[in-house]
Amino acid sequence: MQLDTKQRVTELLVKNQLVTKPPVVERLAVGDNVRDLLPDSGLVRGRIVRCSGDAGLSLALSLCSRATQQGSWLGVVGVDHLGVLAAVEHGVALERTVLVHPPQTSREWSVTVAAAIEGFDLLIVAVPARLSANDARRVQTRLQSRRAVMIIVDNATISQSAARSIDDINRSNTFLADVVLDTKTKSWTGADNGSGYLQYRDVHIRVSGRRVARERECLVTRPC
Amino acid sequence: MFASRRLAVLQCLDWSAVVAAKSSNKPCAVVHAQRVISRTPGAMRYGVQVGMRRRHAQALCPDIEIVAHQPNRDRNAFDAVVRKVNELVPLIEVSEPGLIVFAARGPSRYMGGDEMMASKIVEALKTLVASELLIGVGVADSRLAAHIAASASASNSASSNSNLFAPYVVEPNKTSEWLAPQSVRVLSEFANVNRETVSLLERLGLNTLRDVCALSESVLAGRFGELGFELHRLARGDEQHQLVVVAPPPEHLCVEKFDQPVSDQQIVINSVQRMASAFTEYFSVNGAVCVRIVIAFELENGKRFERLWYRQQGLTASAIVESAKWQLEASLTSKFASELASELASNGLVRVQLIADEVRVDTARQLKLWGGSTQTDETATQAIGRLSELLGSAAVQVFKWQGGRDLLDSYQLVSATHTQTIGSSDNTEQPAVSKWRGALPTPSPSVVYPEPVQAQINDQFGKLLSVSARHELSASPVTVIIGATHYKVNSWAGPWPVEEHWWDIARNRRLVRLQLVCEKIQSKKTATENTATGKVSIDSAAQVLAMLVILEHGEWTVAAIYN
Repeated sequence: MQLDTKQRVTELLVKNQLVTKPPVVERLAVGDNVRDLLPDSGLVRGRIVRCSGDAGLSLALSLCSRATQQGSWLGVVGVDHLGVLAAVEHGVALERTVLVHPPQTSREWSVTVAAAIEGFDLLIVAVPARLSANDARRVQTRLQSRRAVMIIVDNATISQSAARSIDDINRSNTFLADVVLDTKTKSWTGADNGSGYLQYRDVHIRVSGRRVARERECLVTRPC
Repeated sequence: MFASRRLAVLQCLDWSAVVAAKSSNKPCAVVHAQRVISRTPGAMRYGVQVGMRRRHAQALCPDIEIVAHQPNRDRNAFDAVVRKVNELVPLIEVSEPGLIVFAARGPSRYMGGDEMMASKIVEALKTLVASELLIGVGVADSRLAAHIAASASASNSASSNSNLFAPYVVEPNKTSEWLAPQSVRVLSEFANVNRETVSLLERLGLNTLRDVCALSESVLAGRFGELGFELHRLARGDEQHQLVVVAPPPEHLCVEKFDQPVSDQQIVINSVQRMASAFTEYFSVNGAVCVRIVIAFELENGKRFERLWYRQQGLTASAIVESAKWQLEASLTSKFASELASELASNGLVRVQLIADEVRVDTARQLKLWGGSTQTDETATQAIGRLSELLGSAAVQVFKWQGGRDLLDSYQLVSATHTQTIGSSDNTEQPAVSKWRGALPTPSPSVVYPEPVQAQINDQFGKLLSVSARHELSASPVTVIIGATHYKVNSWAGPWPVEEHWWDIARNRRLVRLQLVCEKIQSKKTATENTATGKVSIDSAAQVLAMLVILEHGEWTVAAIYN
């Protein structure tokens, strides 16, 4: 009886537009090889995904590939030294990929990213070291209203890719990521003291973040 | 028959080279993508030609000055010429730096004939530009003919060697006869027809425009499609395009009035951008494209500045914005502060107007099967325009396939505003035989350093690793030192030699590539610290890093990492 009343009240509220229905979750498709990693089995629009660690960039590229093939545009903002061939091999449609080099000051960076959010469904961004919390919030609000997806990666310098600095960890806090995919390469297969070539690797991925109900870890074998 | 449209073309021969040459007596060539695109008359005397390879030009003229192509420099310098001509001729059209087109009928009647008009204009310009610059004026019924005539007039004055200027006037209604004996190569030189198409015409035995004209339009269309019509039109000197009946766009699309006079350029550009996208949208919905446009700015004190812009392929929204920007601000950076720019500071701008001057059927663009490009493509294109406006066009890039062994070579980064076909796969598509011999095996590294990072690779005795002439490693790599960080090599693959351009001293490359899988060696201090605090974070555990290292000129560098 009690349950019945509650249901009826909800119905009436919705009908009289006093509360809105829960929104439909729009998501961008991802490839089969990364679907299981994400909590909603896709990139939910308006959210921030962070790919950190030493396989971060390649993971970010493979997250984007299916969506770009289906017509979404990808803006790569401030990511230095992107290996274009790797992007192609991950299946990113290059004809819908735009490379943007933003200025590194906090204000100008956020203006640039906001402009990119206006036009592109997907963004791969590297966050500058000194981004103010205000500007970050502004970008995040814009992202949510424009229903785009932002993937944050680290700009890999060689020293950073082996062990992350404190600066790097601070940076991850400027944006509150909905999903964090922290990667760590366990081993590479293929190279064998002169013969062969690198073929695939085992990556340890830890999935966390505020939209992830239960933090989990898994070991996946990925080409590159 | 329509009253023929008389067009005059004023051409400054090799404008960008003359602008780039710092001292006018030294030969100079402007090079883009390894090819000469413009050279000074000084260099021409040595036999340097447009289209020549840079190396060839240097061989012909060893002390030639090679300058990179900078469209902005040419434009800014050209603005002075444009203003000078504008004093004599009201409505002129600037197709590119060094080239001005205007309707000849009015000015030549006012100044007493085509010859008089041409010499008056050139006289006025003489004081303004370097004496070395060759100026030619041609008048004819079609754009192509006038352009050819102008360049003929310029090179005539060069060959006569007395700097005597003589315009080249093709008599009214005689244009098609005059064009007939011209070689088909003029099409690629003056009318933006693809070089391959022209070479195909030659191989088909069509050597002159007369031969092209002799074929019927339908035959050409059958072979070349829409381009066939265009070729026939160009060859017979009739550039009246098929009439298209489109009502002029409603006023709210092409006029923007500011209630408050505006003196900030950015605001003006923003509103031009808004108008331009609505404007082009309007025409494309009606199956037409605007090829000539008048952009007019009106100031508070009633002054009006207008200029005509033409683009053969049709003006896209971004092209309109770029033109407006050029009109507004290019002159700001030049030595002479533009009249408009200084006026803008004192008197605000109250009105911007776009007037479609010539509209034709939109045939050039192949739309997608189901109703054109998608909404996302359009918003993305707009965003690209906005971003390149914010950051400059060099900071927004798209990819173009070019092929190569090196990781950086295979795709070229081109500025997004300079490519016509954003979002189509023509540019990025790899040819069927995509793998270059000697390219790295896949998977490719996701982080590639444009400037490789110095490294030191040692064998087990701490000696620097070397490679013999037969591409054999002196020993197995054991440690890698990058800066202050030491790595232990777990496994490695290679060495893979690359030898490129061995026939060319300047460009030859000889290098060896190695893939290394390394592990960072923890310095003892941090390791003990970690165990002391009992904190073993994910970072401090063994972590593997794969990298690509290159040995070139006896130095090891890290070219890429597999991130």
